[in-house]
Amino acid sequence: MSRFELEIWDDETEKVTFYTGRWEDSPSSETDKFFEKHYDLERDATQELMSLIQDTIGTDHGAIDDFFNRHENTVTALPHHGQVTIDEIKFYFPQFPLRLYALRVNNREDLVILFNGGIKSGATNKESGELNMKFIEANEFATKIEKALQEGEIYIDDETRTLKYFNGSSEIIL
Amino acid sequence: MRSKIAQRIIDETPKEVRIFVRKYGDIVVRINQLIREKGYSQKDLADKLQKRPSEISKWLSGDHNFTLRSLAKLEAELDAEIIYVPKKDSFHVQRGGQVKATASKAKPVAGNLPFIDTRKKVAELEEPVAA
Repeated sequence: MSRFELEIWDDETEKVTFYTGRWEDSPSSETDKFFEKHYDLERDATQELMSLIQDTIGTDHGAIDDFFNRHENTVTALPHHGQVTIDEIKFYFPQFPLRLYALRVNNREDLVILFNGGIKSGATNKESGELNMKFIEANEFATKIEKALQEGEIYIDDETRTLKYFNGSSEIIL
Repeated sequence: MRSKIAQRIIDETPKEVRIFVRKYGDIVVRINQLIREKGYSQKDLADKLQKRPSEISKWLSGDHNFTLRSLAKLEAELDAEIIYVPKKDSFHVQRGGQVKATASKAKPVAGNLPFIDTRKKVAELEEPVAA
């Protein structure tokens, strides 16, 4: 597996710093690739998802459980599904075509890493072609990040709401 | 810093879309909060609303969003406001380019306190004093 860099994707919202992953030899981050690819194909959904990230999560509420409830192994898929109870009440985004994978760092409400995603074309990820590849990749990214956090290779700087490499550098390559 | 594509998309997102997403987010958070406080399950809620659980699921999901009526039913059952509409009735006074004031007309704190119309007060104060 190639190495990837963790870099800030958006630190201008009030409540959350969003990170993304970028393969070392790639000019674009995984999250940028996702949005660039789907903006023309699914413009309305892409705009709603961007507003969910920047407005609802980043500005209004933070990365709370209500918006991170579509758990898929280590990562969570955005947008949230509509369950408003532990049972089956669905609310909002029931037919939403896109999935973007994310990881809340240590389940915090102010640090989120966004990965890539795709179109949910089948009933399951496995039936959704390319999405399944992105799902597997996001989980690999996330597992590596969580391991690095546990082992102290990276840590959270609470003052700046950022991630740092063990030597204090903001450049994080895993 | 912000990703360029993120900035571009949010800049091109119609205002109404952002308002819609934000309000929905607020409603999701509010309903979740109330349901947690009440300790309801889907079945409890269905019982309270006299509907079958499958109907509740259908009612709250699929292709139709919450309607004002369905929100009203939920507000009634959960006994709390989910959406709030400000009820201020304000008026603006401008006198001779010198004095400007905006007053909010709100319910008096106690029922026996009258609402004072400042426009009348201003007019009274400016009435010429009889010689």
